[in-house]
Amino acid sequence: MGGIPFESIDPSCYIHINTIKVLNMRNISLVFGRLAKSVCLIIGLTFAAAGQVSAQDAKAGEALFKANCTTCHLVQGKRVGPELLGMSSRFEAEWLHKWIKNSQSLIASGDETAVRLFEENNRLVMTAFPQLSDDDISNIIAYVDAEEARIAAGPAPDAAGGTAGGAAASSDASDFMIIGLIVVIALAIAIIVVLGKVIRTLERVVENNQHLLIPAEESTETGKESGQALRKFLKNKKLVGLVVLVLVGILGAAGWNNMWNVGVHEGYMPVQPIKFSHQLHAGVNQIDCQYCHGGAYKSKNASIPSANICMNCHKGVTGSEQYGGEISPEIAKIYRALDYDPSTGEYGNNPRPIEWIRVHNLPDFAYFNHSQHVVVAGVECQTCHGPVETMEELYQYAPLTMKWCIECHQTTEVNADNAYYDQLIAAHEKLKKGEKMTAAMIGGLECGKCHY
Amino acid sequence: MDSNKKYWKGLEELQQTPAFVAKNQGEFAEPIPVEDVLEGDGLKARTPRRDFLKTLGFGLGAVTLAACERTPVHKSIPYLIKPEEITPGIPNFYASTFNGQSILVRTREGRPILLEPNPSALGVNQGTDAATQAAVLDLYDTSKLKGPQAGGSEVSWDQLDGQVTTALNNAAAAGKQIVLVAGTINSPSTLGVLAKFTEKYPTAKLIEVDAVSYSGIIKANANTFGKAVLPRYRFDHADVIVSVASDFLGTWVAGEEHTQQYMSNRNYKSLQKGKMSRHIQFEAGLSMTGTNADARIAIKPSEEGPLLIALYNEITGSSLPGAISSNEKAKTALRLAAQELKNAQGRALLVAGSNDVAVQTLVNGINVALQSYGNTIDLDNPSYQYKGNDEAFAQFLTAAAQGQVGVALFLNSNPLYSYHNPDAVRTALEKIDFKLSFSDRADETASELNAIAPNPNFLESWGDAQPFEGYYTIVQPTINPIYNTRQAEQSLLLWAGEQTDYYTFVKNNWEQNLLAGSAKSWIDVLQTGFSYNGEQPLTAYSFDLSSLAGVAAQVVTGSKALAGEVEVQLYQSTSLKDGKQGNNAYLHELPDPVSKVTWDNYVAINPKFAESLGLGEHSLVEVTVAGGQSAVLPVLLQPGQAIGTVSIAVGYGRTKVGKAGNGVGKNVYPFASVANGTVQFNTSASLKKVAGKYELAQTQTHHTIEGRNIIRETSFAKYQEDPGHNAGRFIDNHKTYDLWNKYEQPGHRWVMAIDLNACTGCGSCIVACNVENNIPVVGRDEVRRRREMHWLRIDRYYSIHQDEIEQSYETGVNKEKQFKGLSGSDYENVTVVHQPMMCQHCDHAPCETVCPVLATVHSSEGLNHMAYNRCFGTRYCANNCPYKVRRFNWFNYWNDSRFDNYLNNEFTQLVLNPDVTSRSRGVMEKCSMCIQRIQGAKLKAKIENRPMKDGDVQLACAAACSANAIIFGDANDPNSEVSKALRNERVYYVLEEINVQPGTGYMTKVRNV
Repeated sequence: MGGIPFESIDPSCYIHINTIKVLNMRNISLVFGRLAKSVCLIIGLTFAAAGQVSAQDAKAGEALFKANCTTCHLVQGKRVGPELLGMSSRFEAEWLHKWIKNSQSLIASGDETAVRLFEENNRLVMTAFPQLSDDDISNIIAYVDAEEARIAAGPAPDAAGGTAGGAAASSDASDFMIIGLIVVIALAIAIIVVLGKVIRTLERVVENNQHLLIPAEESTETGKESGQALRKFLKNKKLVGLVVLVLVGILGAAGWNNMWNVGVHEGYMPVQPIKFSHQLHAGVNQIDCQYCHGGAYKSKNASIPSANICMNCHKGVTGSEQYGGEISPEIAKIYRALDYDPSTGEYGNNPRPIEWIRVHNLPDFAYFNHSQHVVVAGVECQTCHGPVETMEELYQYAPLTMKWCIECHQTTEVNADNAYYDQLIAAHEKLKKGEKMTAAMIGGLECGKCHY
Repeated sequence: MDSNKKYWKGLEELQQTPAFVAKNQGEFAEPIPVEDVLEGDGLKARTPRRDFLKTLGFGLGAVTLAACERTPVHKSIPYLIKPEEITPGIPNFYASTFNGQSILVRTREGRPILLEPNPSALGVNQGTDAATQAAVLDLYDTSKLKGPQAGGSEVSWDQLDGQVTTALNNAAAAGKQIVLVAGTINSPSTLGVLAKFTEKYPTAKLIEVDAVSYSGIIKANANTFGKAVLPRYRFDHADVIVSVASDFLGTWVAGEEHTQQYMSNRNYKSLQKGKMSRHIQFEAGLSMTGTNADARIAIKPSEEGPLLIALYNEITGSSLPGAISSNEKAKTALRLAAQELKNAQGRALLVAGSNDVAVQTLVNGINVALQSYGNTIDLDNPSYQYKGNDEAFAQFLTAAAQGQVGVALFLNSNPLYSYHNPDAVRTALEKIDFKLSFSDRADETASELNAIAPNPNFLESWGDAQPFEGYYTIVQPTINPIYNTRQAEQSLLLWAGEQTDYYTFVKNNWEQNLLAGSAKSWIDVLQTGFSYNGEQPLTAYSFDLSSLAGVAAQVVTGSKALAGEVEVQLYQSTSLKDGKQGNNAYLHELPDPVSKVTWDNYVAINPKFAESLGLGEHSLVEVTVAGGQSAVLPVLLQPGQAIGTVSIAVGYGRTKVGKAGNGVGKNVYPFASVANGTVQFNTSASLKKVAGKYELAQTQTHHTIEGRNIIRETSFAKYQEDPGHNAGRFIDNHKTYDLWNKYEQPGHRWVMAIDLNACTGCGSCIVACNVENNIPVVGRDEVRRRREMHWLRIDRYYSIHQDEIEQSYETGVNKEKQFKGLSGSDYENVTVVHQPMMCQHCDHAPCETVCPVLATVHSSEGLNHMAYNRCFGTRYCANNCPYKVRRFNWFNYWNDSRFDNYLNNEFTQLVLNPDVTSRSRGVMEKCSMCIQRIQGAKLKAKIENRPMKDGDVQLACAAACSANAIIFGDANDPNSEVSKALRNERVYYVLEEINVQPGTGYMTKVRNV
């Protein structure tokens, strides 16, 4: 895979190399699963790379495609808008440019193809993209062509579908392997023990045969000796004291450490009402966090997306290709919540809200504001929430303790580009010349900044 | 120095009663009985070994079990379809109106949590008063009806509509009257709906009646000028103001509007320009306005008329008979006042609180002589706040009693409670075929009617208002109706056979009528909240003064009827006013600006007069008025009260208003009577002592500052010579030493300036602070134990000049023991200073050094932080605070069945501000300078990538203050409003001499004497 530019590798591949060390035992199976998955992906991408036509264009196009088109379009398969396979063979490039820039004006101009397409797709209006330059559109078309070539090239896994099933399968496989390993080890230990006994017995038989009859007495002798040793040990008060002290020390330390973890729910992974996979949405499909959690950029609450946001895509994406033409049972839960009938496309009058289980529970007396951290400080979501794009099921990554907050405030430098800090930093520079400006230095550790 | 005045908060402090001294020994009035346990039988009692083990075992088991509780699972339920304008965690603001005050409603996740004055409306109208601030709690009142009722049981709207239309048709067929009895309706759209209703039912008519009416003024204006309106008073145009028993800064017409106008000639900016108006008050009870007057003369209600006659004679040089002859002090004062008024012709204003047509006609005469019309009184842009007509209501009662009324609908009116003669109302109601109330609860009147069609709260309604000519404000809903309610206007439209919904009606009315010809659209109005077309030019009015002779005779007759052994003045309390918001716990717990009594009304009586009647503080007394009605009420010794008079607040004693308000105080509306066709709130009575005592929950001497010199006062004349007169800055004259290192404040330094001259004491800031910071209401019993939780209090200090003591008095610090010498005075003449007091955010805060767990620490922005989750309740900090501003949570007030009148249900808890922690039991709290607002404003600046600018942070108290007495900002910004204010020569810091370096500067009180 030497020929692939590093950036083109799915980020999920390299991020969990870092994360393995923080995951505990019960996540090992997941890790196996992910590793297997990423290996699949790398293989897939290797195939893809071989089929790359005009890499530079397609690469720029891919970014644009993901930013602008994925909400409604898939290269293969229908989402909200129609499938894009064979796009450039069906339409002329010039026409496509016009269509993408402003399809409505094209339709209004009476273009036959445009009108036909509009009617074919139930008069669904495509968003206009006047901001895209001709080059941008060419790049997008190049990307779609490249994808098309890749799909045509052979059985490379389809990004949306294949992995989910694959992940489930590989995770099952690894569970089986672990159980098998344990069984094997247990068997081996049993065999060793049995073998040992057999050897002892055989030795004794041999000794018996040689008329060397000591063992019975010897064994009582050794028993006495060990009893005496214990009695002797118990009489040695200094030694007993020392042992007790050490024991108390160990238990105390263990208890103390345990106490620190009371109320810390690192790794908390409740079962959610919908088996929503961040790995699929944020990882594979590369949907920006902000698309669903827009609150994080404006408000203190990152906010769980409302069901109408899900429907932006899931009106079209039903996952039916995975379920033999049936709507995915998890996606059907969204429809049920909204009382949406996918066959008629109409909403009923009996909506029922989705009761998610909150994963990150900060106590009420601690004020935390997402926008302060995400917008002002430019902290990546992953810094606190971990590799969400690899999480099949979401768990609490960070301990969310005050110590954890403070450690970050002590080391994080303030984003001095913000004009707000102009006065503040000028004042501080007078005080502490040449030093870094961390959040702690401008009052980021003061009680009242978070507790009020 | 002129500080040889003695300031005291209550008579017990002045007289140093043993109970007062004992209670002030400790920080907390009721110490925890540790010593009793240790010294008494507590330790001697034997605990059998088995009991000990049992307890121990149970305790251990209980703790283990309690610890076994699983971590609760928190659910997070997002919107199914998120409204576009809502982002969870970010407030939305909607413009609306309450009591004619244009407001902004702050909502969070769709629920209203705070009302603030609409900043864009300032300059036209006007801050918010305590009642408006507290009104958000009324939305979450659990005592409201959950749906329509008929015959005492729940019905559907269809059933109700059926009953009503039948009744209406019957009445129409029988040619009987259909009457809508309403409190003042100044909503153009409601009046439009009524026009539709009258079209359908021609016998329908509107009777407007206010619990406390101004029909005396309206009738007087109709008689003299042919304009039956309440004028708009322009205190900002007046240099000399004389008020005869009018509480114009508080409850009279539009207190907030008047406050803003009045203070524009008295605040620090005006003083810097060398301008200060002069205000002379004649009144019986010490009103909030009286406490702000430059000179106040106590007179009896029966002397009001004769005093005005004398004033008229002095000003015009005529000699109407019946001028005041009894009260020498008043006679001298009125001569001086007349002189001042005459000198300020065209810039003078006389107002009177009386509702007597004759008295108000006389007042009109004096104002004509003073050329007030067209200058300080505006009849061309009249006020529509009160239009109630007492005579029309009386006629309605007569007509109803004769069986002429078929249907009566009551909107915003509760006559069985607030009419002086409930029996007449009851008799009339019996003869009406069908009666319905639009009340939101089964109140005193509604519960006795055939049906109730509950009106939603104003925060759930569409509507509008016209507080005065040319000024229209909008009422828009901020939440869907919570209960099954329907707007009265909608009901009336339906009953009139109109199919339009009321929203469309309001919108059409605005677009077709109110906004016609203006560039504004309906959406613009929804955004700004009001439409103001500018004022009509003021014109002068005049009438034939010679006609006043007959009026004067009427005035004299009225006065003679009033004169009695004891004269009673009924007044509205600043918080509860006429009692409409009687179930509002915030308002009940707001201390009266003058008496500092919460949760009750009382008989205010001069201490000397009480002594002569054998009455003491909190004695019970039976008041029987001339009409025969009586009530038993506790006595409050009120310095400043005229001898021979008592004052009692109306608006209390509601019986069917809800959990918080039922049975609080006594209803004294029946004490009122009718004279010259209008309801009079003055009467005469006899007092009879009743056995027993009733302790009023009075906060006045709680948190006393032990007579330290914390009030600085000067006169306008002295101020003009030396603006810094009597500010007594300690720091200028003494060298100070610091025990602590200097704490750098390189970023912001949040400070506050308080203009003692602008503070009227109204308490609007206190309620705003309560709502913003989730400050619990504790109830009467807990207030008696001195456990009120208000972070911000307004200390009211009385003072008396007494010459002989002044001679021997050492200038500077007031010593408590010297107060004793004052107790002999007649207490009729006291001067008052209001001092808002909250955490001073000292740079050398004494509370911080004594906290064993560092729960209260200083910030680099000059704030004293309080970490509730760290506090474990030693209360050392409160003991060590020289300003006594720290409050201790003795209970989980917001979730405890013992405090059932407040937040003890999930519905009412929706009023809580989600940005502020609800403190739990055992934790200290205090003013945080609205740190959530500071942090919010900083974040906003950061997100917008700009430095902070002055005015970005507005504290709840400062925003609520219509007098602009509280100024907040960043002292590190030399151009900020607060920096400018603190550079004022009048600024001093309270207890500066103990070098705690407080962050709040006060400006000396200046009196124009």
